[in-house]
Amino acid sequence: MRDVAIIGAGMIQFGRRDEDTLLDMLSYASLKALDDAGLGDKTVNAVYVGNMGQGILQHQSSIASSLVDRLSLLPAAADTVENGPASGGSAIKNGLLAVASGYYDYVLVVGGEKMREVTGWRATDFVATMTHPQAEYPYGITLPGMAGMFTRLYMEKYGVTREMLVAVAIKNQAMGGLNPYAHVEMAIDKEGIFDSPHAVVNNPMGADPLHLYDMCPVSDGAAAVVLCSLEAAKKLKKPPVLIAGFGQATDTHTLQEREDPTDLKAVTLAAQQAFEMAKLKPSDISVAELHDAFTILEIAESEHVGFFKKGEGGKAVLAGKTKLGGQIPINVSGGLKARGHPVGGTGVAQVVDIVWQLRHELPKERQVKNAQNGLTVNFGGFGNNVTAFVLRRVEQ
Amino acid sequence: MKQEIAIVAYKCKKCGKLHYPFHDRCLACKSREFEPVKPEGKARLLTFTRIYNLPWGFDVRYLVIGVVEFENKVRAMGQIHVDDAYPLKNGMLLNPSWGPVRTQYGEHVYGLVLEP
Repeated sequence: MRDVAIIGAGMIQFGRRDEDTLLDMLSYASLKALDDAGLGDKTVNAVYVGNMGQGILQHQSSIASSLVDRLSLLPAAADTVENGPASGGSAIKNGLLAVASGYYDYVLVVGGEKMREVTGWRATDFVATMTHPQAEYPYGITLPGMAGMFTRLYMEKYGVTREMLVAVAIKNQAMGGLNPYAHVEMAIDKEGIFDSPHAVVNNPMGADPLHLYDMCPVSDGAAAVVLCSLEAAKKLKKPPVLIAGFGQATDTHTLQEREDPTDLKAVTLAAQQAFEMAKLKPSDISVAELHDAFTILEIAESEHVGFFKKGEGGKAVLAGKTKLGGQIPINVSGGLKARGHPVGGTGVAQVVDIVWQLRHELPKERQVKNAQNGLTVNFGGFGNNVTAFVLRRVEQ
Repeated sequence: MKQEIAIVAYKCKKCGKLHYPFHDRCLACKSREFEPVKPEGKARLLTFTRIYNLPWGFDVRYLVIGVVEFENKVRAMGQIHVDDAYPLKNGMLLNPSWGPVRTQYGEHVYGLVLEP
C-alpha cells in the first residue's frame, strides 16, 4: 500500500447560496482544490462525491457523473458516496483506498449539500430520514431530538452543565467570525444566550435540554481535496499533508439498543483505528475538527477520542483548554456550529481546515502555532457511522 | 376500543438478548433464532426531549418524545402525550398504549403513546 497525501484543498463559503445549484457548488470547490494542487493539465483518474440529499432535496441523481462532465475531467471514474452526515469522510476514505492501492494516481474528492432551497420543516424531515424507519421516524423524532435525549443522559451521568454547552457555542462562533468560509459570522456572549432575561428570547429551547445556540445551522456549501501518492506529492511546491491514519466504525441504528446510550462506541473505535494506523496518540494531536452538530457532541467526542477523561470535556472547555492557544484547540474553524453543516460536505470541509492548519497558511488569529498533526471526526446518523482521519504535516 | 401495542421485540433463543427493532442476527451471539416478545407492564422513562423545531408532517406546536423500558425489559421509543410544562423526569413510570402518532395522506399512523 502506498502512503497517500493531500496536495490540494478548496472550499466555498457556507451559508445560504440561493444563486448556486448543488452542481455549481461542487464544481467551484473542486476547481479551487485542483488549482491549489497545481497539477496543471494533468487530469485526475477518479472523482468521489460525498452527498446525502440530492435525491430528496434536489430530485436529482448521479451527481458525480454530472460533475466530471462539468469539470471536463472525462473519462475519469466517478462515484457518489452517501453515508448520511459522514458522506464526506466516507468519500475521502474511498479516495484514500483507491490511491493507496495503486489503482489510481490522482483523485478528486468533493463533498457538498444544498439544504436551504427547502423549508426548515422539509430540511428537518430530510435529516430525520436517517433515523430508523419503523422504530423512530414515525414519532417525529429529529436529529436535534436525538441529541436532546443524549444530552439529558450525558448531563445526568457526567455532570455536564448548560454553562459548559454555552461555552462551546461562544468559542466556536467567535472563531466563525474570523473564518471567511463560515456560515455564521456573528460572535455571541454569555449574557446574550445564557444568563440574562434577553437570553430567554434570544436562545429559545429547540430540543430540550438543547437550545437554539446549541445547534449548528442548516447550510449550503462544498469543499474538496485532491489526493495522490506521497512520493508524487513530494515533487510539488506546497508541503504535502499525509493521511497518516484512518478509521471507521458503526454502532446500533437506534439509541435505545445501546447498552449505555452515552457511550459513543463508533467514535472511540474510529479514532483508535486512526491513531493506531498513524502510530500516534491523542496527546500528539495539535488541532482537531470534531463534529459539533450539537454543542454536547464536541464535549462528548473530545472525551471519546481520548483528549480528556469521561466527564472532563466540559470542564476543559470552561478552562479554555480547547480554544486556540489551549492544550488542544478544537474547531478553530468554528466547527459545524459556525462554519455550518451542509451534511454531505462536512467531512471534507473538516479535512480542508486541518490541511490549511498543517500547511501553516492561515492568518495568525486562526493558525495553531507549529501544528504538526490533526484529527477529524465525522459523525454519521446519531453516532451509528463515524469516520476519523489523522493528518500529518510532511516537511519538504 | 383500546388497541394492543403492536410492538414485537425479539429474544435470542441462544443467549437471551432482547432486540427491538428486528435484526436478522443476534447483536450479541450472531444466532438467527428468536422468539417474539410483547412489551409488558408499565414503561419506565429512560430519557426524553421536547422538540419545538418540528419536521414536515406535524401540524402541532411541539412534540414530546422519549425512550422507555417496559417491565419485561423491552425498550422502545414513543410519543409522550403531556402538556408542554408537565414535569417529566427520567425514571418515572408511564402508561403505554397504542394510538395515532402522526397523520400521513389523511390517515392516522399508529405507534407507542405514553402518558403519566
